[in-house]
Amino acid sequence: MTTTTVYDSAEQRLPFLTTFKHFWEYRDLIKLLTVKKVTARYKRSVLGVWWTLLNPILTTLIYFVVFEKLFGRDSADEFPYLIYLISGIIVAGFFSEAVIACGSAIVGSRGILQRMQVPPEVFSFAAAIAAAVNFVISVVPLVAAMVLLGVEIPWNTVFLAVIPAAFLLLLVTGLGLIVASAAVFFYDVIDFVKVLTQLISLGSASFFSLSWVSERYQPIIKANPLFHYIDMFRKFFYRGEMPDALNWMMVVGSAVLALGLGAYVFSRSWKNLVVRL
Amino acid sequence: MSDPAIEVINLSLAYEVDKRLAGTFKGALIDRLRNRTEREKFFAVNDVTFQIEAGETFGIIGPNGAGKSTMLAVIAGVLPPTIGRVVVRGKVAPIIGLGAGLDNEMTARENILLYGALFGRSNADMKERVLKILTWAELDDHEYQPVRTFSSGMVARLAFSVATDIQPDILLADEVFAVGDERFRNKAEERMRSLLSGGTTVMMVSHNLRQIAEHCDRVLWLDHGRIVEIGPAEQVTKLYKEASMNPTEKAVGEPGTP
Repeated sequence: MTTTTVYDSAEQRLPFLTTFKHFWEYRDLIKLLTVKKVTARYKRSVLGVWWTLLNPILTTLIYFVVFEKLFGRDSADEFPYLIYLISGIIVAGFFSEAVIACGSAIVGSRGILQRMQVPPEVFSFAAAIAAAVNFVISVVPLVAAMVLLGVEIPWNTVFLAVIPAAFLLLLVTGLGLIVASAAVFFYDVIDFVKVLTQLISLGSASFFSLSWVSERYQPIIKANPLFHYIDMFRKFFYRGEMPDALNWMMVVGSAVLALGLGAYVFSRSWKNLVVRL
Repeated sequence: MSDPAIEVINLSLAYEVDKRLAGTFKGALIDRLRNRTEREKFFAVNDVTFQIEAGETFGIIGPNGAGKSTMLAVIAGVLPPTIGRVVVRGKVAPIIGLGAGLDNEMTARENILLYGALFGRSNADMKERVLKILTWAELDDHEYQPVRTFSSGMVARLAFSVATDIQPDILLADEVFAVGDERFRNKAEERMRSLLSGGTTVMMVSHNLRQIAEHCDRVLWLDHGRIVEIGPAEQVTKLYKEASMNPTEKAVGEPGTP
C-alpha cells in the first residue's frame, strides 16, 4: 500500500494561493460541472438553447420599445440604438447571472461538500464559467443585429472583445466567492445580491448612452466598474476603437482586486463556514 | 505496517447553532438592532481518541445523533476539528448515495465521470473505467439513462461500484447495506473482502448490528459524541444490544455539554 497522501488536520496550509492551485488541479471537474450547468437548462425544456437567449431578447425588446419607439432615440453614440442596447444587456446580464450563480453554487453543492474533500471554490468557478458560456451564446443575436442593420464588423478589433469578457470572468469569480461565503451564513443574502446586481447593471449605462445623462451625474456612472467592461466591449466589438486609459485601469484593477479579495475572504472563512453548511 | 491508517487525537467538533432568527441576513440585521447575537456551540463529537490500523475494518455504532456521520466527515477531511487532531494516511473515498453527490438529472455515465473528477481522477482515466464500473453494477444497458429513472437498488449498486473501483486506501461506508437486495449485498460483501485483502481500511457506520458484528474487527460505540465502548466487534455490539434493551444502564451526559 502506498500512503502518499496524508491528511493532517493540524497542518496549516497557505489558503490564499491554494485557491488558484485548485482551479488547475481540478480542471477536469470544473469542465464537467460547467457542462452540467450549461446543459441542465436545455435538457428538460422545450425551448432548448433558446432559453439562454430568451432573457436578453425580452429585456432588449422592452428597452427598445421604450427608448426607440416611445422616446425616439434611434442612435446612441453614432451607432444604432439596438446594437448599443444588446451589447450592454448581454454584458450586464453575464455579470448578474454569474455573481448570483457563483454565490449560490457552494450552498447548492452542500451534499458533496459535506462528504468529500473537494475544494469548494471549484464549484463557484464552474458556475462563473457556465455563465460565460451562456454569454458567448448570447453574442449571436448581437452579430445578427449588426448584420441586419448594416453595421460593419471591425475585424481588426472584434476578437479583442474577449479581453473585457475574460476580466469580467475574474471579477465575477471574486465577487461570487464573497457572496458564497455570506450565503452560507444567511441564505437570503442571494436576494439582496439580486437587487444589488440589478442596481449596478442599471447604473452601468447598459441601456442608455452616457451622453444622455447630465454632466453632473456622469462621474457616478464612470465610477461603476461594470460601465468600463461594457464600454471596452463595445469599443472592440463594433466601434473598432481602442479603449482609453481609464477603461483599462477600471477593468484590470477591479478584476484583480475582486479576485484577490474573494479568494482571500473565502479561504479565510471556509473553516468557519463548513460547520454551518 | 507501522503507522496507523487513521489517528484521532482528543477530537472535538462543535457546530454553531444559531439562536437567532433562522439564519437569515434580514434576521441578523434585526437581531443586531435588538442587540441579540447569541450563538450556541453544540458538540457533535466530544474528546474522542482512537486509532485504526491499516487493513482493519472498523465499525461505528450508536443511536441517532451520536456523532457517527460527523466522525466520518472529519476523517474525510471535510470538517476541521474544533479541538484536537486527525491524521489520515492514504486516499479516502466515501460511498456517496443519491442527494449526496450523485445527480438525479445526469446519466449513469456522467455521474461516474463526475465522481471520478471529485476524487481527483482525470477524465480520460475515468472514461476507460466507465464500462467496468457499469458492468459490476449490472447497469450496462443504462449507461445513458438519467439516474432519476433508477430504482434505489440500482442507485446503491452504482454508488458502491464507483467508490470501490477507485481503490481507495480508506473506504468510508455510511449505511451502504441499508438498500439493495440480498444478491447485491452478497456481491458488495465479496468486493469488500477483496478490497480488505488488498490492504484497504474500511470504516463503516450502520444501525445493522448483525452486519457490523459480522464484518468489523473492532467497533466504536458513540453516544452524544463521546466514546462509550471501543473494542472487539462481538463484544461491543453485545454490550450495545444489552444497553439498548435496558436504557438506564449506560447513560451518558446531556448532548452538547463539553
